[in-house]
Amino acid sequence: MTVTFAVNEVERVIEADPSETLLEVLRERLGLLGAKRGCNQGVSGACTVLIDGRPMRGCLSLAMNCAGRAITTIEGLAQGDTLAPIQQALVETGAVQCGFCIPGVALTAHALLATNPDPSMDDVREGLAGNLCRCSGYVKLIDAVRRAATARGQR
Amino acid sequence: MTAVGVRLPRLEIREKVTGRARYIADLSRPGMLHGAILGSPHPHARILGYDTARAAALPGVHAVITGVDIGEGLMGAFIKDEPALARGKVRYVGEAVAAVAAADEATARAALRLIRVDYEELPAVLTPEDALAPDAAIIHEGLADYFKVFDAQCDGNQMSRTEIVEGDVAAGFAECDVVVEGTFETQAQNHLAIEPCGALAEVDEAGRVTLWSANQSVFRVQANVCESLGLSMSRLRSMTPRVGGGFGNKMEAHVQPITVALALATRRPVKLILSRIEDFEMIRARHPYKIRMRTGARRDGTLLAREVDVLVDGGAYGDDSPGVLGYSLLMARGPYTIPHMKASGRVAYTNKLRFGAYRGFGNPQTCFAGETQIDEIATRLGLDPIEIRIRNAMRPGDAWFGGQKVLSNGLVTCLEKLRDAVGREHGGDAAPGKRRGIGIAACAHISGLLATGAIVRLLEDGTVMLNTGAVDIGQGSDTALAQICAEALKLPIDRVAVAVPDTDGSPYNWGTTASRVTYTTGRAVVAACDEVERRVKERAAALLECDAGDLELRPGGLVGIKGVPGMEISFQVVSAVSHWREGGPIVGANTFVFDQATIDPKRAAATGLPFGRIGVYSFCAVATEVEIDEATGETRVTRAWEAVDVGRAINPAMVEGQIEGGFVQGQGYALTEEMLWDGGRLANPSLMDYKAPGPLDSPREISTIIVEDPQPEGPFGAKGVGEIGLVGVPAAITNAVADAAGIRLRRLPLTPERVLGALLER
Amino acid sequence: MTRAMGFHAPVTLDEATALLAADADARCLAGGATLVAMMNAGLVEPSTLVSLRHIDALRGIEPVGDGFRIGAMTTHRETASDARLDGGHAAVREAAAVIANPAVRNMGTMGGSIAFADPAADYPPALVAIEAEIEIAGADGRRRVTAADFFTDWYETALAPGEIVAAIHLPAMPAGARGTYHKLARVAGDFATASVAVVLAMAGDSCCHLRIAIGGCGPTPVRLAEVETRLIGGELDAPAVREAGEMLARAADPVDDARASADYRRLVIPRLLARAIERARAGGAS
Repeated sequence: MTVTFAVNEVERVIEADPSETLLEVLRERLGLLGAKRGCNQGVSGACTVLIDGRPMRGCLSLAMNCAGRAITTIEGLAQGDTLAPIQQALVETGAVQCGFCIPGVALTAHALLATNPDPSMDDVREGLAGNLCRCSGYVKLIDAVRRAATARGQR
Repeated sequence: MTAVGVRLPRLEIREKVTGRARYIADLSRPGMLHGAILGSPHPHARILGYDTARAAALPGVHAVITGVDIGEGLMGAFIKDEPALARGKVRYVGEAVAAVAAADEATARAALRLIRVDYEELPAVLTPEDALAPDAAIIHEGLADYFKVFDAQCDGNQMSRTEIVEGDVAAGFAECDVVVEGTFETQAQNHLAIEPCGALAEVDEAGRVTLWSANQSVFRVQANVCESLGLSMSRLRSMTPRVGGGFGNKMEAHVQPITVALALATRRPVKLILSRIEDFEMIRARHPYKIRMRTGARRDGTLLAREVDVLVDGGAYGDDSPGVLGYSLLMARGPYTIPHMKASGRVAYTNKLRFGAYRGFGNPQTCFAGETQIDEIATRLGLDPIEIRIRNAMRPGDAWFGGQKVLSNGLVTCLEKLRDAVGREHGGDAAPGKRRGIGIAACAHISGLLATGAIVRLLEDGTVMLNTGAVDIGQGSDTALAQICAEALKLPIDRVAVAVPDTDGSPYNWGTTASRVTYTTGRAVVAACDEVERRVKERAAALLECDAGDLELRPGGLVGIKGVPGMEISFQVVSAVSHWREGGPIVGANTFVFDQATIDPKRAAATGLPFGRIGVYSFCAVATEVEIDEATGETRVTRAWEAVDVGRAINPAMVEGQIEGGFVQGQGYALTEEMLWDGGRLANPSLMDYKAPGPLDSPREISTIIVEDPQPEGPFGAKGVGEIGLVGVPAAITNAVADAAGIRLRRLPLTPERVLGALLER
Repeated sequence: MTRAMGFHAPVTLDEATALLAADADARCLAGGATLVAMMNAGLVEPSTLVSLRHIDALRGIEPVGDGFRIGAMTTHRETASDARLDGGHAAVREAAAVIANPAVRNMGTMGGSIAFADPAADYPPALVAIEAEIEIAGADGRRRVTAADFFTDWYETALAPGEIVAAIHLPAMPAGARGTYHKLARVAGDFATASVAVVLAMAGDSCCHLRIAIGGCGPTPVRLAEVETRLIGGELDAPAVREAGEMLARAADPVDDARASADYRRLVIPRLLARAIERARAGGAS
């Protein structure tokens, strides 16, 4: 079956079985490997992508059910060589260790800052609540989001 | 210093924030097949036969293999007891019994369902106590014949037995004014790296294997695969892409032997990635411990004696268990000068998945008991918990339990800085119905051990290639080693490149484990750079017509005559001349095996200790503030402080990251994480049912205090930090709970149920 | 996963129910949070998926008199952020706000969630305490059942094969009513170890309306009308509330599982009830 949706602002026509998740389609059909399979149950957050600007689980979304949607993956965050504020902040705070959770975290934080440009510490903790990280203890991830907020505010 | 001590962003940071980092599940090779593993449904059973015909006939299936297809090889870090696929019997639910390679993952998994295995169930041995009972079913009938790297004292289901004695505990306790005794119990914790285990193997026309896998050591992978499959090590090349987390789970073999076996059977590349549930059920976890400990002190708080005995659940295969047992006993005295100490224990085989290396390697378990008892003694004597620890703390030059002299020791500074940071706060400000308390723990952890190397090459243009074989699992070793190399040669960091670890080209590195890479590999890097410096000066002396002794390295890849600015030449010139005219390309190399003895036979007696040289010591003092809900027993950590002596912080941001991450993983161990068995079957093998801390569960504040007491032979004084941030956390939390509510919990995790139960009994 | 599976995206409810009636192995797809997770785990293999995404009649939270009609496809995020759900209706808003995590709340729907009837989920006790009605659509037409009658057993509802949840109707609440949902969980975002939904109204110091439902402590939400009757007219003093909680604990039928033991759940029910009542009286969760 065929379904059409936009990925990183480019319309894609996908041939897939209805049982294929968005995560599988992104990774295996479109070669967008940034979204990861952490548990395939929607708990780890490593598969998080933005659908119409909102963070959602790629592993729980069926590609066939995404007709007409706008998907943003981590590959779509930077503008050419210019990193998005959250990506730059992740670089500067030393928040990234193994990096496996980072695409999901960066997209979630990017969406959070779009709707809440000046988040409090609690807003950030709540916003990232669905992104498990086993390396960082969350401290520097939260710092990075707040740093990105400041940087965005300064533009 | 321009490179060491700098909060440099990781070398690979851009690829990680843009989603371009490639992990094992992201790799593919032309013609690649997909593998899947069939796990045993029984905890203990003889395999009577297989019927794989239907599975093999499924369209898209290229191979179905079982234990009878892969020879007689056995692997194991200490006891070689483990086949790549079950042979003759299965010993835990989830043990790999058969494997399939097929055109895609769905077909491979469908084929698994078509494999018939006939089993004869055997009695399942599910606890160490049952395992060591006289009439227990024997899990490894061939135990006596397995190759062992040390004198393990194997017997029946007893895998290993260790004892270390120093002084005379009977005499020591006799002099004590206060003695506390207790029994402690800790649970199996899952590593829960966000990336599940996986591998990709390919065989070339000559039958040589190329293997990529998520691992903590390309060399341990090579050894384990070759031993279990009977391959010569020169016939297998082991590499690693980016690794999505490793906390001990990826140090020894996981799916690599099976993946290679499938590639050999099909002569096609095969990729095999575990599901999360399989990763829970099949791989490894932290050892459950039962600990009996007594600690005694004089009235003035001087600790005189400690005795500990442990019973450890080793699971179905040996893996790192003897090492974990031995290490946990070695660490059980804690960082104190307790003159009389006896530590003993056994690890038993059981019909559960193998328990293995996990951040802390047995230290968190015995530290939990030991630091609880220090606190209990402090309470009994009316002493401040930090003061009693300072009183008894080892000082630089004092010997660790067993006799190894510890030269670099910032423990007292850690305790003092912790005291300053935490202040005199105690409990206050709790809302109605809640209780707050603060708890302390102090600990040490080694870094070091076994073999490592470094090769530093000056490329033609004077830039540098650093090859150590060390796997960066996300902790930042590539970056730290590059910083060390850059500092040693006074080069800007962007002129140092780090080679990927590759058993074909890298010097041997035991692995990224035991908090060892910065210290051990860093030492080798410095030594290799020293050799490069020597050769550079030798060549430069000829070009500048002076004595090599008159030369100095200058920042920016230059070598010049001391005291004469301007009389200098670049590494580029030196290297070009070396390549094209005379001398030969400049290479510095160093390899060594860690060499400080653990046991001084004049001070201590050790039997069954599976390592003779363990490492150097880092130190830590940790404090937590907890809040307990008196109605429900829910316990949260509101604030935390960790003061850690790392010798020298090569990259302070990365050091903080290790401490912060270690804290939260330790918090999970202390409060919410527990693998639960229903008979022989793991009852909660999923992220729905096994809960690790998320952002909302972590403390709002974790303050890290870096203390630097330089390790003399460490690279720029550095020693390790990878594990120590976790080790003291459970005790700090239970001590805080005691401070908050006057209840002593000696069993992990501190579920709300256990806390509430203790509150009600109080 | 590659399986030859059918997929339909009807635009009307009648089309959807017709498709479901025609194929016993067809499943409707709401947010996917539960169904796709089960498909991923190999626990369910639908022959055909009927996506509800394009059916407008299933969307939106609409005021109906002093109550609301919540379309089955309303996401948890929409429910959690709708400030109109205050007073007694706040119980369902508070429940929505603590389901899983933000990404799942962006996807999961009330209809999908209640149709799965996980006994540890957050909506069931809130809907029972609000005395919501579930509007069910099938090939034969529409019907309504009370929330209490909707949840029938562990993962079982009153839905007949081929029926789907069309909407959830929240009735008008008594004047001055306040509702709250209080959840005990191992970590943030987990299913409830135990939870309490309370809707109450006070007339001065005297309670004039009270509904209590306990979640996570048995196959369905636990509600005892007699407990409510005893407390109504009184001042909701601590001993009376504790006694009520103990009655509810005795009526509950919790199990031992990975989250907690049955004994613990019975022990905390009265304590959670006290908290929930206190919170409702103070105006709900902050």
